[in-house]
Amino acid sequence: MTMEQRGLELVRDDDLTRALAAIYAAPPEAAYWTALEQRILARIDAGEGEDEWWSVPDKWLRVGLVAAGIAVIVAGSLLLRTQTQASRMATIESAVDSAATDAFEVARRGRLTEEQATLRVLIGRD
Amino acid sequence: MSAVARPLRALDGTRQARIVADGPEDERALVLAAQRGEREAFSLLVRTHERRAYAVARAIVVNHEDAEDAVQEAFLHAYRALDRFLPDQAFGAWLHRIVANAALDITRRRKVRDADELPETVASPFRDPAESSELRSRLQGALAKLPARQRAVIVLHDVEGFKHAEIGRMLGIPEGTARSDLHYARSHLRGVLGSVRSEL
Repeated sequence: MTMEQRGLELVRDDDLTRALAAIYAAPPEAAYWTALEQRILARIDAGEGEDEWWSVPDKWLRVGLVAAGIAVIVAGSLLLRTQTQASRMATIESAVDSAATDAFEVARRGRLTEEQATLRVLIGRD
Repeated sequence: MSAVARPLRALDGTRQARIVADGPEDERALVLAAQRGEREAFSLLVRTHERRAYAVARAIVVNHEDAEDAVQEAFLHAYRALDRFLPDQAFGAWLHRIVANAALDITRRRKVRDADELPETVASPFRDPAESSELRSRLQGALAKLPARQRAVIVLHDVEGFKHAEIGRMLGIPEGTARSDLHYARSHLRGVLGSVRSEL
């Protein structure tokens, strides 16, 4: 046996290598390789070597992904901005409604005139 | 690499020189011609590299048919990707990575398909009955039980002569992993070999 332990690595065993080479031997006939080459070229000639119609070249795929990422960021920021504005408007409207209701309620009870109540709403005082 | 002598006329209509695709410069010329769409140039690249490509695939898959499929798929992929290949790189190393990926892909698909019926041995299509021996059949059985990556590493290293770094790049693993895989594969097969020898 030619195999021996050398440090962490076992050195090559010639018998094992020969046995493996026999198991994994490539076909020896030249005709086999000629036929394999012809099969490969025939598949290329048949169009299998072309990019599929639905496939996207890597370069364009990268560009597309970047563009899609930017679009998502822009759409997200627009949505956030719209939501913030809507929320702010709702708060203002709610405050105005509440103030108006209170002021006109006071006016209805006769303590303020309608003009005074309107003025209170406009200047934001309860 | 075997020398391949072909008239250059097919590559270049004006010159009558001959090309021998056994050096990096000649190979670079072939790659450039293939990138320009010259079919004969790609044919020469196939002829020059198909045996080595088969050896890489055969180390990874379990039988000859799968190795052949992997080689065909790899060359088709290489043809499609040729315009992205930089001619100053080594075509062989680039192709071997493609072949290894095709072979690993076939192995993964086969693993899913044959989950319930693992092969008893690693098939050898060119097995000469006269050479058949107890050692050989036991070795085939042991190879079939070896993790696929360890099997690929020992064949690529000990039989095909690739270096650890090259194997690492091909299989997408660190060089150190290729080294330890080789150690475990040798150790395992040495055990099988030893027990057969002691019985014979």
